[in-house]
Amino acid sequence: MSAALGSYPVAADYIALLPAFIVAIVPLLLLFVDLFFRGQGAVRRGVAVAIAIVGLIVAGAMLAEQYHLPGYAAFGGAFIQGGFSIVFSEIVIVATIATLLLSVGVGRDDQVAGTTSLLLWSASGAMLMSGAANLMAVFLGLELLSLALYCLCAMSPRRTARESALKYLILSSMASGFLLYGSALLFGATGSVAFAALAKTTVTPLLALGAGLFLVGLAFKLSLVPFHAWTPDVYEGAPLPVTAFMSIATKAGTLAVLARFAYAALPLDHASAILAPLWVLAALSMLIGNLAALSQTDMKRLLAYSGIAQVGYIVTAFAGQTTLGLRYAILYLAGYMFMNLGAFAVVALMARDGDAVVGLPRFAGLAHRRPLLAAAMTFFLIGLAGLPPTIGFTGKILILTTTVSAGYAWLAGILIAGTAISAYVYFKIVRAMFAQADPKHVRDERSRTTLPWVAVAVCAVATFALGLFPLTPSNILPLVK
Amino acid sequence: MTVTALVLGPILIGFALYAIPRERAAAARIVAAVVAAVTFGLAVADPHAADVSRHWLARPFDASFHLGFGPISYWIVLLLSLATFGGALALNGPRARNVAAQLLILQGAMNGVFLAKDLLLFALFWDLMLIPVFLVLIEIGPHARAAWKYLIYNLCGGLALLLATAAFGAVAGTTDVIGRANVHIMIGDVWGTWIFAGFAFAFLVKTPVFPFHTWMPETYAELPPPVVAVVSSVQSKAGLYGFLAIVLPFLGPEAARAQTLMFVLGMVALIYGALAALAERDSKRVVAYSSLSHLGLILLAVFSGSALAIQGAVVYMIAHGLFSAVLFLVLGAVEQREETRDIARLGGLGARNPKLAGVLMLAALAALGLPGLAGFSGEILILTGVFKAGFVWPAIVALVAIVLASAYMLRLFQTIMNGPEVPDLPERRDLTWTEALAIAPLVAGFVLLGVNPGRIVDVAAAAVPAASLARNSDFIQVTVEECGLVLDGVEEPGCTTLSKDDKRVRRPR
Repeated sequence: MSAALGSYPVAADYIALLPAFIVAIVPLLLLFVDLFFRGQGAVRRGVAVAIAIVGLIVAGAMLAEQYHLPGYAAFGGAFIQGGFSIVFSEIVIVATIATLLLSVGVGRDDQVAGTTSLLLWSASGAMLMSGAANLMAVFLGLELLSLALYCLCAMSPRRTARESALKYLILSSMASGFLLYGSALLFGATGSVAFAALAKTTVTPLLALGAGLFLVGLAFKLSLVPFHAWTPDVYEGAPLPVTAFMSIATKAGTLAVLARFAYAALPLDHASAILAPLWVLAALSMLIGNLAALSQTDMKRLLAYSGIAQVGYIVTAFAGQTTLGLRYAILYLAGYMFMNLGAFAVVALMARDGDAVVGLPRFAGLAHRRPLLAAAMTFFLIGLAGLPPTIGFTGKILILTTTVSAGYAWLAGILIAGTAISAYVYFKIVRAMFAQADPKHVRDERSRTTLPWVAVAVCAVATFALGLFPLTPSNILPLVK
Repeated sequence: MTVTALVLGPILIGFALYAIPRERAAAARIVAAVVAAVTFGLAVADPHAADVSRHWLARPFDASFHLGFGPISYWIVLLLSLATFGGALALNGPRARNVAAQLLILQGAMNGVFLAKDLLLFALFWDLMLIPVFLVLIEIGPHARAAWKYLIYNLCGGLALLLATAAFGAVAGTTDVIGRANVHIMIGDVWGTWIFAGFAFAFLVKTPVFPFHTWMPETYAELPPPVVAVVSSVQSKAGLYGFLAIVLPFLGPEAARAQTLMFVLGMVALIYGALAALAERDSKRVVAYSSLSHLGLILLAVFSGSALAIQGAVVYMIAHGLFSAVLFLVLGAVEQREETRDIARLGGLGARNPKLAGVLMLAALAALGLPGLAGFSGEILILTGVFKAGFVWPAIVALVAIVLASAYMLRLFQTIMNGPEVPDLPERRDLTWTEALAIAPLVAGFVLLGVNPGRIVDVAAAAVPAASLARNSDFIQVTVEECGLVLDGVEEPGCTTLSKDDKRVRRPR
């Protein structure tokens, strides 16, 4: 057993965090190796990305091996390594690998090692969050994740990139402030930072206030309505691979914290009262996210709003705090990752350097010029719209069922309404691709690398296969020890 | 195996068609027609094909990839093969390869809808069959409006179906229920109403029925005739099939409560559709509104609770599928030659196109319910059944609508084929042999069915959902448990007919 809080950590504690450490240490190696490849453009990019991917795969394999072991607590319960954290970490790792495939062609030669390293550091933060079981660990993971992202957002020659980074810095810091204040109040109310201890206390106004502020901080990071306003602007300005990464990894890490907090850190008899506002936020996100997406013409903004709504669907699955709901939320998150990254990969393939402003007009007539690409995009959009044969469909019906069973039929109804609105959002793009286009107005670009095609293929297969065989993690409990 | 091939075969071959170069549209057409013919052959050769089932979900409810023939669905699959065959052969015009591919995908998806024995699988194919039609609408149709209307209306229906399916699964614990008369599903009053509302909305939109029908005339007008032949012939039956296969067996009390509402909707559809068809000048829209009217009649029959009327409904579903496909194919042929669908601009085509005129006449006669053709067999059963069940006024309204059907069908024929020839119409070619080949099986179908509807009536008798609208349980006579296909009067072993005492009637409190 690991050491109690206050005593010295032992080897087992570090072993629990080893995969996250690997992801954090590989960048140092990568930056060092990069020094030997100066002036060799393509090779230099290839080496940096290859090292990063190998590191991620090693970490992923280590995690996968531990999946069947019973969960155990490290650092006195600050970090729980178990099925739950492993599944979330694997989602982060897959998302990071896909992001790296998209980012090979983006940016200057001498920047690639830097962006890759920052991506990995950010990913290690998300991995830390997926296992974090006390308030300190949550904050540590969140800041590691965010600090790297502030830099990543700025790493683009576009003027909007700096605007995006600054916006993200300020608003995200504010969110962290909420989170920290909430944590402080929770500590004040209970005298402990551990989630397990929070669940055992009686409810005082101080605890409720702390929990509320903590949730507001998380909602900011998840960009739930009404805390979503920063998302489209930041997504639009950031380089495309970074946007793709933010849309998955940040959300995966934050959802892990939210799930653990909602399921395990609140006194059982009052949890539903404290969490009630969360379902309202989810409902608002599903409706307003999709409504706002209706009028978007820039792909990144559109996917940002779509992501707001999709997170709403995932949070809906938490309603009633059923174990099945948690499993389906994880399933849908994985599915959303594949569908969304697939869509981003298609967008990356449509710009020469993998990061141009891709608006709706660029899709006009795509099906007649690049049928395979259009078919892939159609498939991902069908999935995001919740139509079969994709995980979007299967995941949604699972979430609907568990939400209805848990007694939140109204939330299920809003999910359906949001999905109905979203059909127009996604099929607008399908329509543009398949309709006749005037060739004069169409600017066709191809990305310099074909690597994003790997991401497209993997995402398409996964979207389809998960739809038919919805694998959900079974040994995700216990969430705290 | 057969049933899997019927669903997956057309879908996979449909995708493979995109490998054929765009210019070789003729090849794509022939492949599609051959696939449709093969599916027809498969279904005819193996009417007792075993169900195929693979476990899908264990939680939160049991669901399987369960496909198999049912008494009604077997005939609809045959109908769909014929309609697809005709549609594929009649394809021409721009992007024929893409349309052929989407037609096959549509056929596979619709086979899935009718063969699914699991509600969730049913919902999956239900949503899947939207996509090919939407893609054809945006690729071919000049106006995006029709595509959006089609998509939004039907997707809302599909989502209601999905929510109802989720709730059904949550309450019943399994969705692997279609066609299982021996499964006892008890759905409480609170949930039952909502689940019924979800299903009913989805099915009413798809059929369509009066307040939800506005997508239909536009969609039918914009779709290329071969595709609209398939959509009107088979897709419009999906909702009615859903009422028969899902709502009546499992949500009988709720259906009984909604009987009055459904009767009103059906009667409004009957009269409104007929009047609109009388007023319309666009030939495709005339047939579209006539479908609205005819499908309203089937809705009446389904909710009358009379076994006889439901048998008639099944016969009429098949019959309407056959003659509406012929009508759209013939009108498509006319449109292609004369470049207009406006019946006011057409006239006198019959003189130079006797074959075309003959086929249109036959189809129109079938549609208006001439004895000896398929439409009559269904109508007479429905009218008798509805009347005997004690619904006098609905029967009278239906009769009025049937009289109006003669008026608009004959008006359609007359203005296009009779009268003085219009001089400036571009081309006067009679039916080509490909078109004749496309139409012939469908015509043969409704003539045969008109002469001898007995087979389908027998099958329909087996399919009548037991104890369905048994509010008073006076007029339910037939109860058949777990019965497979009854072809040629041969009953499957293990197929037991229950006596009246064994009825599993849920009496409302």
